[in-house]
Amino acid sequence: MSMIVARMVLVSLLLTGMLTSSGCGYNDLQGLDEDTKAAWSEVINQYQRRADLIPNLVNTVKGYAAHERETLESVVQARARATNVQITPEFLKDEAAFKKFQEAQQGLSGALGRLLALAEQYPNLKADQGFRDLQSQLEGTENRITVARKRYIEKVAEFNKMVRYFPTNLTAKFLLHLDEKANFTVADEKAVAKPPEVKF
Amino acid sequence: MRLCGRVRKAVLAGWVWLVLMPGLPALALDVPSLSGPVVDVAHVLPPATVEQLSQELRAHEAKTSNQVVVLIVPSLEGEPLFDFSHRVATTWKLGRKGTDNGVLLLVALKDRKVRLEVGYGLEGALTDARSAQIIRNEIVPRFRTGEFAAGITVGVRAVLSTIEGTYHVPERPTVSPSDSDRLGQVLLAVIVGVVIGLLFSRAHRVLGPVVGGGLSFVAAPWLVPALIAGGLSLLLVSLLGGWGLSVGPRRGRRTSGFDETWFSTQRGGWGSGDLSGSFGGGGDFGGGGASGDW
Repeated sequence: MSMIVARMVLVSLLLTGMLTSSGCGYNDLQGLDEDTKAAWSEVINQYQRRADLIPNLVNTVKGYAAHERETLESVVQARARATNVQITPEFLKDEAAFKKFQEAQQGLSGALGRLLALAEQYPNLKADQGFRDLQSQLEGTENRITVARKRYIEKVAEFNKMVRYFPTNLTAKFLLHLDEKANFTVADEKAVAKPPEVKF
Repeated sequence: MRLCGRVRKAVLAGWVWLVLMPGLPALALDVPSLSGPVVDVAHVLPPATVEQLSQELRAHEAKTSNQVVVLIVPSLEGEPLFDFSHRVATTWKLGRKGTDNGVLLLVALKDRKVRLEVGYGLEGALTDARSAQIIRNEIVPRFRTGEFAAGITVGVRAVLSTIEGTYHVPERPTVSPSDSDRLGQVLLAVIVGVVIGLLFSRAHRVLGPVVGGGLSFVAAPWLVPALIAGGLSLLLVSLLGGWGLSVGPRRGRRTSGFDETWFSTQRGGWGSGDLSGSFGGGGDFGGGGASGDW
């Protein structure tokens, strides 16, 4: 009789464990890992979108201010540098590569800002409808980058917390071999928080 | 002595409150409540305009399920335009969940800024460039001469006609994933609870239903579905166990123990999922749209 009860207790405990607990975070960790990858893809997407807008922008400005060679050149070069960074799946685990990526993007933001500030001095350029559309597209992309980064930061924080909390840290370390992922630092946030000015 | 105890309780309550106080978030500017398609906090539009626009926007929503909302605030109170606009749009969750077909037209009077915040689903039709054109060509010129009602009306109509025909309401309303997921989880919890409970019923009459109910309660999603699942399992195990049904060799006792009436009163819905307010449909915003100032 007691053997039967003991067996039943064991069976029901097992079932409860399977249904309720997430198995010490196994599924949660996997889910969050995928979520962070998706969030990161979105960030890359938006940065790429910005990079794609630049050739058009450079050509439009050239039409009105061709002699501003240095500024135009620096934008083209900054863009090349930003798109040259290789994004591999291992990227998020590599702090150094992540930092390089951020710096490249910041460089592009800076160059863009200077170009747009320059455009202020050319009233004909400012009045050009094509240029104004490009400006609005750039602004939209910068906003999208902001949103994508914010969501990535939140997701990575969630993931990193789970990797560090007990007992899920055991699952992460020994079962899944998952480690903390790289995240944007506060210093970068302040720098990126000032997108290229789009004022008239 | 009694007074001492009461005073101590009051002091403790005060401390608890003080400790919890810092946890309250300090928002720059509260997101106004979504009272309708036109939320004029600054009271700059005449009632007739508000009524007319609300009608047009509601009709558009009925036809296409897109949610376009106008918000006019007196001031941004120092918060950047995009931050506030995105915050309001994602709090109100304009547009249908998954389709993300919402648009927010925000006007900040003191800051002299206007913004169109476009949801993911409408970015294809209401692109950044088109949003900027609407603001630049329709809204701002009228705002510069102080014609707010005209500017907003024309802007709204331009937005509607730009997106008209992009999204069509599906013929049959689809069950949202959250509802059907919940249902499945509750059913599974009940089944497992009943099976295990019947197992236990062999050993002990009372323990069976309790274990079954408890297991279902724990396995189902918190809180209402869990209560329902637990109650249902408890009942089923008691009934089935009482009628002699059990998993394993028979016990031989045959008593029903519970009324038919009690069983029939255990009816009731699952409780629908946590849908947001009466108007916002759960849509999301990615930062698309355009701004302008006058």
